[in-house]
Amino acid sequence: MVVAQQLNGEATTHKENLMSKKLMSLKAAALLASAALTMGVLGFISPAAAVVDCTKATTSTNECTVLTVNTFGDVIQPALVADYRKLRPDIKLSIKKSDLDALNGTGLFTQCAAGGAGNPDIAAVEISYSGFWRAYPQCFFDLTKLKNTNNKSAADIKKDYLPWRWEHGVGYNDAVIGIPTDVGGLEVSYRWDLFKLAGLPYQRDAVSKEWSTWTKFIAFGKKYLAATKTAKFKAGLAALAKTGTSDNKKFYASQKPIGFMDNIGTVYPAVMNQGTEKYYRNNGTDAGQLVYKTNKQVKLAFDTTVSASTAAIGTRIGQFSSDWNVGMSKGTFAVMLSPAWMMDYIKGQAPDTKGKWDIADIPGGGGNQGGSQLSIPKGAKEPQEAWNFISWYLAPAQQLKVFQTYGLFPSTPSLYSNPDLIGFKDPFFNNAPVGKIYADGVKKLKPIFEGKLQRCIDMAMGSAISLVANGKEKNAKKAFDGGILAAGKCK
Amino acid sequence: MSQTTVDNARASKPPSPWKPAKPLKKLNNPNAVLSLNGRWAFLFTAPFFVMFLIFGLAPILFSIVIAFYNYDALGTQEFIGTANFEELFVDSRFWNALVNTIDIWLLSTIPMLIMSIGLAAILHNPNLRGSTFFRTILLVPNITSVLAIAIVFGQLFGRDFGMVNIIIGALGFEHVDFIQGTTSSHIAIASMIVWRWTGYNALIFLAAMLAIPGELYESASLDGAGKWKQFIYVTLPSLRNTITFVLIVGTIGGLQVFAEPLILGGSYNGGDSGQFSTLTLFLFEQAFVAYKWGYAAAIGIMITVIVAIVSVINFFITRRLAGDGK
Repeated sequence: MVVAQQLNGEATTHKENLMSKKLMSLKAAALLASAALTMGVLGFISPAAAVVDCTKATTSTNECTVLTVNTFGDVIQPALVADYRKLRPDIKLSIKKSDLDALNGTGLFTQCAAGGAGNPDIAAVEISYSGFWRAYPQCFFDLTKLKNTNNKSAADIKKDYLPWRWEHGVGYNDAVIGIPTDVGGLEVSYRWDLFKLAGLPYQRDAVSKEWSTWTKFIAFGKKYLAATKTAKFKAGLAALAKTGTSDNKKFYASQKPIGFMDNIGTVYPAVMNQGTEKYYRNNGTDAGQLVYKTNKQVKLAFDTTVSASTAAIGTRIGQFSSDWNVGMSKGTFAVMLSPAWMMDYIKGQAPDTKGKWDIADIPGGGGNQGGSQLSIPKGAKEPQEAWNFISWYLAPAQQLKVFQTYGLFPSTPSLYSNPDLIGFKDPFFNNAPVGKIYADGVKKLKPIFEGKLQRCIDMAMGSAISLVANGKEKNAKKAFDGGILAAGKCK
Repeated sequence: MSQTTVDNARASKPPSPWKPAKPLKKLNNPNAVLSLNGRWAFLFTAPFFVMFLIFGLAPILFSIVIAFYNYDALGTQEFIGTANFEELFVDSRFWNALVNTIDIWLLSTIPMLIMSIGLAAILHNPNLRGSTFFRTILLVPNITSVLAIAIVFGQLFGRDFGMVNIIIGALGFEHVDFIQGTTSSHIAIASMIVWRWTGYNALIFLAAMLAIPGELYESASLDGAGKWKQFIYVTLPSLRNTITFVLIVGTIGGLQVFAEPLILGGSYNGGDSGQFSTLTLFLFEQAFVAYKWGYAAAIGIMITVIVAIVSVINFFITRRLAGDGK
């Protein structure tokens, strides 16, 4: 998908572009001059001192270039930061992490309104904000205008990334404001041991085939739920609690199956992302056209969620709540829709379930949830070094390493045929070839246009979904109409 | 209980926070203090007033102005008159948040008031050993980060594996989904507030109790009043001003409950159906999630008006209740 150029854009934007170009070249010149000066002075004093090592305590900090990074979750990985330190010892990365969206959403907004004061050099922007930020390219450096040490700008590395993922970081006027980090390819994690106990198919190929559509998925869930209530299932669980190692006994003694999947609210975005458009239609303009009131995919996603709710296959536990974290290791639910980044989360929260999870294809084929981009916000003090870091950090080689160590799925399709990725098996997930499963899923996705109100509408519809999912609104049509009405207040 | 005791209690009550203290007597040496009262006073108070003008008054004035605008901080600003307020008055989310806030405030303030006066009375007992230790630990909840409290309480009130529900289950009852329910989520939030502020308020009450002259208790016991009667007829009336103070400060705090519901729900909407959305949470959501600054400013003004109204009501009710009648 290509956001059409707005050739008839107002004169002011052209002027702004020119001005920012001028500003950029001025900045670049200043940077060069200061670099030359530093090098010269250092060279004059002692040639050996040209390499500054900021990892050493003896190095005075004013010789280091400090790059400030605001991030969240797992976007910036410590192992990769250590690699970069070896590569560029003169750079000191100062990383601030926040899991509330204060830093990556609210902070950027208010600081942009304040002229960029207080902004970091690099900001991780969550994908749900990308549509919003596309409308405000003036808040970011245009990455096509920066060149890294290999003389490459964003325009030169564009071909390395999934085209639909790349578009999330392209602002109005075709400014590139963010480079995609990972793709949250969406598949299904399931507890194969519990499936086996329930007498259902439990091998990943069989499971994928069994729930090839959402209707079949819901039917599968009902079967599982019915089975967990039988004496045979309970006896099987009790038998497992008496065999094997003491850890195994303890584990199975603590299992308390309540529902089939954690929260059926996750079905809504999954179905939605399998379409070709969500709330917006790509009509060739930067802003796109709002179609959420008439788009059949929105209704389909909603109705699918409602039928999952009617079938009562969810546990109604909110994701990322304490019950959810604990439930992951207690068998409270046997199925989670899992973006690639979730694998690392499960490992962290439920280490005792190692080998008991497996991963199957998502019903309907292909899915995406989450992901983020790295941007250089207006007001960054070291945009040049920030770009050097971003273009290094998000290059295919580094993304492969991130996938192997943390499970974040790369946004660079050249890796999707790389044997290191395709052949990657995860023992935690019963040796599932997670690389291949996620690569196949991501390849099935079609580009979806993300507009300015995306996030706002998503939240309005999300509330409506929650009302249904948690049984507070029995009348699905009323909930849907309420969601559409609330979405209408977005502006 | 004689009328004299009560009158004595009134006569020697602690200074009211609502009335100005008596003016200082003029010192004999005019150069000492009086010269400071002139232009120097402005210089010495300037640090406060400069900061207040920049970070207090200016934002207040700014928010009053933008409440009448459709204010897109990164785009265009358009004067729309009172449209924000008109929208607010018919916005069910606002009224829902108001009802939630008042409910949480009632559920937290009343138990807190009773418990903190009770705790203060216990600490006031001269026979209590290690009273300094107890006075110190009473403050510990108050200096604990509100986020940490919210996270721990969120886990305590978990549906399947929360400690509260494990106890409820052990007693043979159905587990309560505290976070999904309306009243139950309010109880969870109120318990955080009670836990955090009871000790602090107990110390304020204790300070007020220590200021009650011992002769009042002596004469009361001569009149034949037991411990309980002394508490009812001597201690409580003397605490009248303190109760008013604690209630008003509690009201201002209670109407601004923010971090507790935010962390409990993990999002700015205050639960799936906004069952524990509060006024400030709603304000924050409108300002920094929906980026409707003008609308959020209108909410802020409404919160100020509501706090003022409730404080006035509070003031009169507590004075009545405490038997002053003035």
